[in-house]
Amino acid sequence: MKKIKIAGLVLAGIFIVIQFFRPELNNGGLGENNILTKEQLPEAIGAMLKHSCFDCHSNQTNYPWYDRIAPASWMVAQHIKEGKKQLNLSDWGSKDVIDKVTILGGIRDEVKSGSMPLPAYTLIHRDAKLSKDQVNEMILWTDKFGEELLAKEE
Amino acid sequence: MKRLLVLFSILALGIVFVSFTLSQTSPASVQMPDNVKAAIDKSCFGCHNSASQNVKAKEKLDFSTLSSLSKAAQIGKYREIGETIKNGEMPPKKFLDNNPDKKLTEEETKLLIKWAEGEVKNLMKK
Repeated sequence: MKKIKIAGLVLAGIFIVIQFFRPELNNGGLGENNILTKEQLPEAIGAMLKHSCFDCHSNQTNYPWYDRIAPASWMVAQHIKEGKKQLNLSDWGSKDVIDKVTILGGIRDEVKSGSMPLPAYTLIHRDAKLSKDQVNEMILWTDKFGEELLAKEE
Repeated sequence: MKRLLVLFSILALGIVFVSFTLSQTSPASVQMPDNVKAAIDKSCFGCHNSASQNVKAKEKLDFSTLSSLSKAAQIGKYREIGETIKNGEMPPKKFLDNNPDKKLTEEETKLLIKWAEGEVKNLMKK
C-alpha cells in the first residue's frame, strides 16, 4: 500500500515538474496575409478552414485548456510546427499563383484521402471533423478556386 | 421501347469499358519525351498508377489520370513532382533500400525536375 502511495506521489511530482517545460505558444494572430483576409471565400469554406485547419496551419492556434497541459502540450506544439512547415495559411498573400494552386491541390488530396484534419486531432477536437458533405464541398471549392485564380492571372 | 433499353444498356457498357481501359493506360497517356518516360517508368510509375496497391501513393499522384485533372490541379501536381524530386523525397529511402536499381541517377533527377518545371510553365501559358 505504502509503495503505491510513493509511486503515486512520484508520478504526481513528475507531472508537476513537466508543466514547467512549456512549449512556445502559436498565438501571433492570423495576420494580414491570411487567406480569409486576402480572398472572398464562400462562408462555409471559411468556416471549415477556421475550425478544422487553422489551429495547425496558421499563426494563431486556439488552445483549449487541455492542450496547454504537458505532455499533451508537447505533442500539440509538434503538430503545429510540422503543420506550419507544410502549409501556413497566414502566409497566403505572399504566395504566387503557382504556389496557391499547388496549395489548393494539396488541400484537396489531404482532405479527400481523410489524412487531414489529422485523425489524432479530430479525436479530441470533435467539431473539427469534416463530414462527407463538407469534404465534397471542399474538393469542389479547391478545383473551382484554383481555376479562378488562374483565370485572374491571364 | 425494349429495343431502346437494350441500345442504352450496350451504350452504357461501352462507356464503362472505355473508361476502364483508359484508367489502365501507362504514363504514355501523359505526353512526355522518351527519356522522361523511361525515368518515370523506372522509378515512379510502379506506385503512382491507377492499379497500384500503394493507395497513399496513387492518391497523391496518379500518372494514369494526371492529364484528366483540371489545369490548376495539374499545375499543382507538376510543381509537387519537381519539388519532391528536388528535395530527394522520392523515391522513398525505404523503397530504395529494397530496390536500389530504381534510384534516379543524377542525370535523371535533373531531367525530371526540368521537365516538371517546364510542364508548369506550359500549362500557365495555355
